[in-house]
Amino acid sequence: MNDFSDIESKLRKLRPVQPSADLVSRIEQALGEDRSTHLRQMPVRLGPTVRQASTAGVLPRERRFHFNWLSLGLGLAAAAALVLFARIQLDRPAKKSPTLAAITPSPAFSTVDSTAQFVPAGLTQVVYHTRDEGLHFPNNSEQPMRRVRSHSRETLRWRNPTTGASLRISYPSEEVSLVPVTGQ
Amino acid sequence: MIGGVLIIKDREKVMENVATDEHWKNCFSQLAPGLLLFARQWARSAADAEDIVQEAFVRFWRKRHDVANRGLLYATVRSIALDFLRRDSRRARRESTAVSETDQMVQPMFEVEDETQRALVAALELLPNEQREVLVMKIWNELTFAEIASVLEISQNTAASRYRYALTALKKNLPSV
Repeated sequence: MNDFSDIESKLRKLRPVQPSADLVSRIEQALGEDRSTHLRQMPVRLGPTVRQASTAGVLPRERRFHFNWLSLGLGLAAAAALVLFARIQLDRPAKKSPTLAAITPSPAFSTVDSTAQFVPAGLTQVVYHTRDEGLHFPNNSEQPMRRVRSHSRETLRWRNPTTGASLRISYPSEEVSLVPVTGQ
Repeated sequence: MIGGVLIIKDREKVMENVATDEHWKNCFSQLAPGLLLFARQWARSAADAEDIVQEAFVRFWRKRHDVANRGLLYATVRSIALDFLRRDSRRARRESTAVSETDQMVQPMFEVEDETQRALVAALELLPNEQREVLVMKIWNELTFAEIASVLEISQNTAASRYRYALTALKKNLPSV
């Protein structure tokens, strides 16, 4: 770049034509049209950059990026509140889950809001295996009884008529039944 | 709370500047000659260049952009100048004016003091537009290559190359330099 220093200095000696006298007044008039709006909405163009520009002879060069610490603090506070809120929301179902696992065939949903009311909608029981385990004499009974063991899957369904939401619980079950045997 | 108090004080200072009009006038007085020269790359007369600069500066100021963002200011001038050029070209085709383009172009862009400077200006006008606009931004507006690159939406290397080509061409056309 040293090769060009001479011609660069000659170019810098060339002075551009100055603006006409009325250009400033034209701009002033244009800016004055929305002066009141301008004053009301005045910014946020904060920090040292502006102050330097209004006092120094030359506009500042490299202070383009500067933090607004107040905005940063508010943003961080909002993010922390959001994380806390999300944690609370995530914790709630975890507390309820044991209740759902130990639910009985006729569950009672204690809901405060009537719109979240679930009503039983159906019960299905599918027996997929039955085994006859022969005659037994339970509790020293003189009458023999046939013991039948069956495996099934029961499905309980609830439905919220207001919202249309449904809840279904399905679990395997084993049932042992003693059938009295009558001799003829 | 201390930060809040400082911010309020800063805002009051800015409000004072706007209220007295000193702030934008200070900025504009520093920038105006370079901005006009930049706008003259596309305008056929000094009056047109002033119109372009006025519109660009008012738009820039109303949107309350940071005055340190000079790249954006020059990009605004360039955008308005190109729009103006398109409108002006259409108007020129429609109208048959008594004043020829050459008459309009003789309006000087520089305050020439001697023959050397006159030759330099003549050589400057021979440069391709893309080289001359880089030169104008660099020499008379003191933009960095990064700022020039952002105005022209080119890479910094390309901006620097155009600048070097422009200086080389000027040296070639001015043997005495």
